[in-house]
Amino acid sequence: MANFTLNGKSVSLEVDPQTPLLWVLREHLGLTGTKFGCGIAQCGACTVHLNGTAARTCVLPVLAAEGGDIVTIEGLAENDDHPLQQAWVEEQVPQCGYCQSGQIMQAANFLKHTPNPTDEQITAAMAGNLCRCMAYVRIHRAVKRAAAIASERDTAQVMGQQTEATAATAGVGTFDPRATADAVSHSAAEETSHGKV
Amino acid sequence: MARFEDTLGRHQRAQAATRHPSSQHGITRRGFLIGSVAGSAMLAFGVSGASLAAATSNKASASETLSAGAFEPTMWYAIGTDGTITIHITKAEMGQHVATSLARLVIEELEADLASVEIVYVDSDPKWGYMITGGSWSVNHSYQPLSQAGAAGRIALIEAGARQMGVSVESCKARQGRVISGEQSLGYGEIVAAGLERSFTEDELAAIELKPASERRVLGTKGNALDVPPKTNGQAVYGIDYTLPAEVEARVGKTLHARPVLPPSRFGCKVTAVDDSEASKVIGYRQTIELKDPSGMCQGWLAVIADNFSAAMRATDLLKVEWSKGDSYHIDEAAIQAEGQRLVSTPSRDNGSLMVDQGDPSALIEGAATTVESTFTTSSVLHFTLEPANALAYEEEGQWHVHCGNQQQSLLIPLVAKALEVEDGKITHHQLYLGGGFGRRLHGDYAVPAALAAKALGRPVKMIFTRPDDSRFDCVRSPSVQRVRSGLDTDGRVVASEHAAAAGWPTAALMPSFLAEAVEGGGKLDSFSISGADHWYNVGTQRVWAQQNKVAHEAFVPGYLRSVAPGWTLWAVEQHIDELALAAKQDPAEFRLSLLDAEGRNAGKSPVSTGGAERLRTVLKRVMEKSGWSERDSLPEDTGMGVALSFGQERSMPTWVACVARVKVDRATGEVKIEKLTSVVDAGTLAHPDGAMAQLEGSLLWGVSMALHEGTEYRDGGPVAQNLGAYQPLRMHQVPQMDLEFIDSTEMPVGLGEPGTTVVAPALANAIQHAVGVRLRDLPMRPAKLKAALTEI
Repeated sequence: MANFTLNGKSVSLEVDPQTPLLWVLREHLGLTGTKFGCGIAQCGACTVHLNGTAARTCVLPVLAAEGGDIVTIEGLAENDDHPLQQAWVEEQVPQCGYCQSGQIMQAANFLKHTPNPTDEQITAAMAGNLCRCMAYVRIHRAVKRAAAIASERDTAQVMGQQTEATAATAGVGTFDPRATADAVSHSAAEETSHGKV
Repeated sequence: MARFEDTLGRHQRAQAATRHPSSQHGITRRGFLIGSVAGSAMLAFGVSGASLAAATSNKASASETLSAGAFEPTMWYAIGTDGTITIHITKAEMGQHVATSLARLVIEELEADLASVEIVYVDSDPKWGYMITGGSWSVNHSYQPLSQAGAAGRIALIEAGARQMGVSVESCKARQGRVISGEQSLGYGEIVAAGLERSFTEDELAAIELKPASERRVLGTKGNALDVPPKTNGQAVYGIDYTLPAEVEARVGKTLHARPVLPPSRFGCKVTAVDDSEASKVIGYRQTIELKDPSGMCQGWLAVIADNFSAAMRATDLLKVEWSKGDSYHIDEAAIQAEGQRLVSTPSRDNGSLMVDQGDPSALIEGAATTVESTFTTSSVLHFTLEPANALAYEEEGQWHVHCGNQQQSLLIPLVAKALEVEDGKITHHQLYLGGGFGRRLHGDYAVPAALAAKALGRPVKMIFTRPDDSRFDCVRSPSVQRVRSGLDTDGRVVASEHAAAAGWPTAALMPSFLAEAVEGGGKLDSFSISGADHWYNVGTQRVWAQQNKVAHEAFVPGYLRSVAPGWTLWAVEQHIDELALAAKQDPAEFRLSLLDAEGRNAGKSPVSTGGAERLRTVLKRVMEKSGWSERDSLPEDTGMGVALSFGQERSMPTWVACVARVKVDRATGEVKIEKLTSVVDAGTLAHPDGAMAQLEGSLLWGVSMALHEGTEYRDGGPVAQNLGAYQPLRMHQVPQMDLEFIDSTEMPVGLGEPGTTVVAPALANAIQHAVGVRLRDLPMRPAKLKAALTEI
């Protein structure tokens, strides 16, 4: 018997305790927003929050989550209006979209601890999440935008006002996605940086 | 020039002729029908003159003809009485927001509201014609028919609306889903509710003029993609997420879950012993079955069956299987490359055909003042779609249903039918979101083992591949070898050029009936193994050979990987042009401009390649301005700039791309830092500009990834790198600064999914050469190779 809290509700189910949490979520509980990518915790598609920390569920036996508090993409925000989800739409981030639940969950955990991130901090926090479509420019921009949305919402709450964020999507033309890549070089030995948060 | 899409077109027409015998008697006219079906107005292309004639002669109304299914569109739409416009998408959504672009084509001419659109990704059916999503073709191929369909709908709605309002047609215009006459207006839903009946003959359709670019209100404008919201909240359902509804399982049985057990190599293996004593200890494990496959896709395969995939996955790891290995197990990357070297040194009709034949350049090259000759190689590349291969299959009352994301339903269906030994008509494919396509899912091979397991067990089976399973079963991008040689006269002009490329031929492996002649009497070839070598430069007397590397075919199934042949042909062409510029002592960008004379075959053809090489000149000039090319001779030490051009995949649908890379080389480590990528693209009209930019961003970064980070070797029956420990696509911290621009154009829209992919590697190689004087001719460019090359000079 496995017991934990999932998106605010307590869950108990009969399951082989060695089953990775990913498959408990997907197969036993029907929450398929969390994805299977590499199976070795290297791509980040399976990221959820466990006790307030981003966790890779493809290698995590459900036993290790016993009694824990789990949040998946489905439970990130009521009405799917988390600042990151709003920013993801504003910046039109997803292409195939398969990695995006994991990207958002990774970013949500990062922003919780780093509400005003620098470009370099965003890159470092997100470098462990593979996007095979390589929508990295927009993922980066959206994380930054989400931080601004969260801050606007906080201000609005304080002021007792509703704010409406202006939609801005990249159109045709010239843009400079960001400057942080200047500090980055290409190396064959980059495995060590994967997964850093 | 006979190309793949032309062949497909012929195939479609042949199919249509078979289905509708009347069209075999010279009646092939195609009209457009609008009628009421199930309460909605349905708009579709009629299949034949016969049905159209019937519709227009009152023997049968357009509604009756449509209800009978007598239409042959690649696309059609319906308007509900509430004004909802349901657009049926026959294409696969794999990240390109294809439905958004196609809907925009319809909505532009229909003068409807984008917000009223609903998208349906349709199940396979012969009525849709040949179902394929690839080649960056979707928007280009759909532009004319969908724009016409939208315009025909608008005309019919205006006519009917005018009648309902009792005003003249001339007084009416259509905007945002309403027909307006002065102060009066009617919504499209209201008009449909009153009944809509109209048909257009082929001549009437042809007479419809599409709106001038100045009147466009949708194409080229900002706007969100329709598929983004469900991709931000976990609601998008990919193949791997699909489960059968309870009511279906109540009829056909509960779904069993499976993981395939792959043999040591793709071909020729036989199972000799199976021991599941350890596997059976996994809770939920049921059994292991051997798959017998009449289609030949699965040779020596097993499937581990369990109550859930997690159990199947873990049980498979504990299964002990012995095989007798097929011969292909012993073919490695080196053997494939050695065969490639042999083929390009003496290209011949025995191993392939001619792609371009403008005379024999040999004597001119050998007699030239200067001769430049190089050999270029590329290694095996994986698709590595993040969603691993999977499929769910079951039978109900003799009909087989296959649920999975797929790019070529029209290939999947006969393949699965062959495996199950049933007629094609007994297979229906149900489309789902694709967690990446990149050409991998142009093949339906991964649906075969799921279907075979379902047949063996008499129950629905959902099979999922693990990441290493997926990599081992990948239809990799074939390794390639190319030899290019050209002659220059004393003035530095190119007088003749010969290019020979050897690789596995995807089309020969997947659909040999689509091999076609490129030049008359040249013999059949796979244009997907050589496109790009038929470039838009004037290089004098030119000959291009495509050689099929059959050793590659013995080891694996060569696949279509994003942009396909230009992934290797441009690696050679664009470096060779730089080598010629160096030999001629000219600036490589200026040298390119001199070769792009836009004369003869390079003048282009209306409407798809209007302007020809002139448009390549335009993007090149613009990228030179933007990138600061004029400062190229005064860059810091070990810093260089290189340029490369691409025209997408095919001359028959060129997307004009120029890219400048600025790099800094670390001599001590051999590492290449990309300081900036500047790219300028002319893709004609942009149906969905933000989606176009997303494709350009992603495809260029794919180019970076394949240039510096991806690539593996085929050895011991599979790719050596099978997961992210060894195979390392680009990550966020490796993304270079990019400056991207589209040329403002109202020309016919062309493709954008792939063209950016192939221009990066040669631009980087040319920049590295400029920075440190070393030319890398083997892809990918690893730091160790560059370091070794630097120590040699």
